[in-house]
Amino acid sequence: MRKARFQYRHNSALNVIFLLLIGVSFVVAMFLAHRLTEKYVENEFELRKIDVLEETLKPYTEFFQNRVPEISFYQGYLDSSSAIKYVDTVFRKYPFVKKIEFYDTEVSNHRVAGAFRINHFSMAPQAIYDYTRSPTADSIVYNKRKPNSSGSFWNMDEFNNMAAKFSLYVQSIEEGKPLQSADFISIFYHVTHNRITFMNIPREEDMHTYKDLMLKEQEKSPVFQQDIVSFILDPEKLNIRNTHRELYQYIHITPIVYESLNTDPDLLNTELPLTGAFADYKLHFSSSRNHIIREIYHRLVPVALAIVMIYTVLLFIAYLIYRNLNINKKMYSLQYDFINNLTHEFKTPVSVIKIAGNNIKSAKELSDRERFHYGKILDEEADKLNDLMNKLLSFTQIENQSIHIKKERINIPQFIQNLVDSYQIKLPDFKIEYSTRGVTTFRTDPVLLSSIFQNLMDNANKYSLPGQKSLNILVFTEKGNIVFKFRDRGIGIPGNETENVFKKFYRIQSQYNQQGSVGLGLAFCKELINLMNGTISVKSKVGEGSEFTVVLPFEL
Amino acid sequence: MRIKFKLVYGLVWLFLFASCAQKQRADRIPLENFFKNPKKSAFQLSPDGKYVSFLQPYKNHMNVYVQHVEGGKVTRISSETNYNISYHCWGNNDEIIYMKNDPDKGPFLYVVNKEGEKFRQVFSEGQLRLKFINPSRVIDNQVLLALNKRDSTFFDAYRLDIASGNLQLAEKNPGNISQWIADEDGKLKLAIASDGNTETLLYRERESLAFKPVVSYSFKSKIAPIGFSNRKDHTIYALSNYKRDKMALVEIDCISGKEKQVIFTHDSVDVSEAGYSPLTHQLLFAGYETSRKKKHFLNDSTRRVFEHLERLLPQTQIQITSTDLTEQKCIVKTFTDVSSGAYYLYDLHAKKLTELSKVNSSLPENQMSEMRHISYKTFDSLTINGYLTIPKGVEAKNLPVIVLPHGGPSSRASWGFNSEVQFFANRGYAVFQPNFRGSKGYGKEFWIAGFQKWGTDIQRDITAGVQWLIQEGIADKKRIAIYGTGFGGYCAMNGLCFEPELYRCGASQSGFVNLFTYIKAVPPYYKPVLRMYYEMVGNPEEQIDYLRAVSPVFHTDKISDPVFISQDLKNPRANLSETNQFVKELKNRKVPITYVVRQHDQRTQDEQMEFYSQLETFFSDNLKK
Repeated sequence: MRKARFQYRHNSALNVIFLLLIGVSFVVAMFLAHRLTEKYVENEFELRKIDVLEETLKPYTEFFQNRVPEISFYQGYLDSSSAIKYVDTVFRKYPFVKKIEFYDTEVSNHRVAGAFRINHFSMAPQAIYDYTRSPTADSIVYNKRKPNSSGSFWNMDEFNNMAAKFSLYVQSIEEGKPLQSADFISIFYHVTHNRITFMNIPREEDMHTYKDLMLKEQEKSPVFQQDIVSFILDPEKLNIRNTHRELYQYIHITPIVYESLNTDPDLLNTELPLTGAFADYKLHFSSSRNHIIREIYHRLVPVALAIVMIYTVLLFIAYLIYRNLNINKKMYSLQYDFINNLTHEFKTPVSVIKIAGNNIKSAKELSDRERFHYGKILDEEADKLNDLMNKLLSFTQIENQSIHIKKERINIPQFIQNLVDSYQIKLPDFKIEYSTRGVTTFRTDPVLLSSIFQNLMDNANKYSLPGQKSLNILVFTEKGNIVFKFRDRGIGIPGNETENVFKKFYRIQSQYNQQGSVGLGLAFCKELINLMNGTISVKSKVGEGSEFTVVLPFEL
Repeated sequence: MRIKFKLVYGLVWLFLFASCAQKQRADRIPLENFFKNPKKSAFQLSPDGKYVSFLQPYKNHMNVYVQHVEGGKVTRISSETNYNISYHCWGNNDEIIYMKNDPDKGPFLYVVNKEGEKFRQVFSEGQLRLKFINPSRVIDNQVLLALNKRDSTFFDAYRLDIASGNLQLAEKNPGNISQWIADEDGKLKLAIASDGNTETLLYRERESLAFKPVVSYSFKSKIAPIGFSNRKDHTIYALSNYKRDKMALVEIDCISGKEKQVIFTHDSVDVSEAGYSPLTHQLLFAGYETSRKKKHFLNDSTRRVFEHLERLLPQTQIQITSTDLTEQKCIVKTFTDVSSGAYYLYDLHAKKLTELSKVNSSLPENQMSEMRHISYKTFDSLTINGYLTIPKGVEAKNLPVIVLPHGGPSSRASWGFNSEVQFFANRGYAVFQPNFRGSKGYGKEFWIAGFQKWGTDIQRDITAGVQWLIQEGIADKKRIAIYGTGFGGYCAMNGLCFEPELYRCGASQSGFVNLFTYIKAVPPYYKPVLRMYYEMVGNPEEQIDYLRAVSPVFHTDKISDPVFISQDLKNPRANLSETNQFVKELKNRKVPITYVVRQHDQRTQDEQMEFYSQLETFFSDNLKK
């Protein structure tokens, strides 16, 4: 069992399951979002009608709460001319007020023709005025009602109603007991079908006076003034304020008994009764299903976008994890290769040294030639090992940034000639040409630069077929940079590998690559060049050769 | 080292400045100290001048105490623990009459001797109203009372015998007598009849005769009898502005109704009081009030008495509140703008002054703010007088101001000690009290100039005063509040409605918000009174537009500044439901509002304190930022 834990594990099934789960959950999320939005919008359709009602009745409420009781402030002193000013402001501000009846009322204990009378208390309109809107301009038409032959008026239901309520109330009040203003709404307001009638609320003292008038035998009393104003309202003129156009396509004010005869199944309906004087009417709301669906989508879009966003981020993170894992895996295999290579690399000189050593050990005596031969072999192989180790070491140093650049001025042709000379001795069949255009001196770290040169020259030698081993080095300056071009006629690099050749431990799998290489050379070069603030790039064609270009900042 | 020295130097200066500033500015005095009731009040001398009686709380209610004038033992002679004793006087050298007003059972009168013995009830007639005709004089054990016993709408005159408790009708009121006046011997010889619009002075030589009219005058004039002349028969001294602008001290022949002589008059102000000796039947002085109260002496010995008193009590206003029968001893009350004063006993013969009690000892004089008389020209070049109180120790520059219009409007702001003003000044506000047109004391014309000018010219006079304060650099124009009681509260609400730029906030105590209601408070059967109101305020039948325009209740939509309203539950002049409506609309409009409804008719001291504490918070929230 323990063993299994360190086995190499496959991800593909997990990946598939993961993607599948993500996909399914995404679909479920979208579906739920859609369902919830649908439910929400349907709920809204039922609930938001209260907002519409409130907005629509706002002017009415304001009228009922502020303008109607304002009549009380006049304390009964309103007359036809002052009433018309009041009426004017009401008509201007509240279009739903169609008509106003004003009963300029007198209260006394006199016997008045046509008066509402209980005991000695009589209440009679001294005059009745009807105010209506003029159909043409915004002026007021007003008419003083004429009494009939018996001195009373026709159509006094509102007055009688109010007088009856009021006189009963006066009868019921008790001395010393404060009046409850909560009672006032039922006494002084009379709200019926499309009509509000209001009488100014007398002061408490006046109510007691009225009671005395009613119940006590008194001399002829003075005349007290009361104002009864009746407002006739027109629900048609109520301005419907559709504050939720997205929900309700059509809103109508209809009688409370109205039933829609529209049989279209795609038409959604809801209703809400109006209040106060409009209680016989309701607001009827309707919308086509398409309208609602549009609203659903309208609300779904941001939700869906948010879900998509979340999933995109999720997938992106998953991808990043996957990619990192992949890179780590590659690194792992590269290091594995490297160790393999290195072992191999070390093995050759070590075995050569071992054979040479064995030979020396087993030989009875060594001739001068043999001694020289073995000595040379040992020396060379030790150099190789040393070289390998140096490379490895310096590479680690660069990676740890422990190399410091020590700049000095170098003569470029002389610098290249020295390198070329050493190569000519080692590899006589490796032809190296160079040319420098316009540059002779240059400040840099000669050790690092020669390292770069050696690597690139080694590569040109290594990856060229025998007989074609040649290298052309071109040096010139361009836009404040110094450019070194190394052009060989080697085997070339496949186009898709050109990026990878600078990676650590990377070697193109080819027959030329079997021995003597660790895959560090170009990576090492790139690290050095990066250190010197330069760049390296490669252009290559398989079979024709490669061209490495090193660009370094030019300093004199 | 040097830095250290500098630091020390700086600290020393800082300390010096701080202590200087502290020395100048008044300390913050607790609210309770301003509005606490005086410990001892209503001092009365016994007719023989040997004893002094006064009211003092006992178990939280006012009771009567007696002390010998030479000092010594203080005797409490009443034990009322449920109701305050509102009134007391000496019935004779030995006995004291006192009144207790039970709101449910009506007034009661009791008699008790100065040792607190022989207590007896002498009057209890149930729920009615009682007025004393001769408030501080009882002749032959007979107390003259005016009672609305027969008819609740008017008062008959009665004689109450305190020895027997016998109540006798002295004179029937035909229904129009508003005031009964008795002479020094307790004989009802004068009366004032009024129909609310016209007043008539009535006179009779003897009680057995019928009253005859002396002179009739409209309510715009006033004749206030002072006393009977000792030199001529049928002649009275009176304060009168009948057929003249300023109130004058005159002599009137009650037979012919003619004004015989003008004794004293002042060019710019009314004669507001007159000193009269019931003993000698002589006029002592005429008092008038320009920037402060002054006296014109008509009697040399009185002048000498006052001169001596002024030497003993320099820089104070001096009043004589009670004397004994021989006028040899008297109770003296003093006050200034920074002191609520004290009561003294003064012996004219010995020229000896003894302090009896301070009115309010918890308000140190050196912490109170001075009240200055000021005057300015209003929009139509009329000169308006007023008073300005600058917080003590503060430069009169860029200050938050509370404008305090007086009530009435038929009254005036006077120079003297005012707890409310001193309280505001102590909290750092300058207090401005304009005597706008319509105020009393500056002549008839000035008073009448305020008729039907509520909310218009009167308001403009107040505004002109505020603008004057801004111009003078006294007021910080961003921190001006307006506050008043009754008519003053009406002015405050009006200011908030129509001059929202001028005032930062406003407060009203029992202020009227609707003039229709104000007028409606007069029952319609008082037609003459109604006529007077129509003339003073406006006729609601003919001037409905004017009354609407100046009634704040119709203009809540114009108010945006913070409002403070305090309202009594029962106030006929201001309908509570109307104020509720007013407050409701302000609330709906999200105007910051503090609304206080008070349950009791008679304000208790706690309620008073609570009110001022809320008002203090309101002003500091709005003016101190």
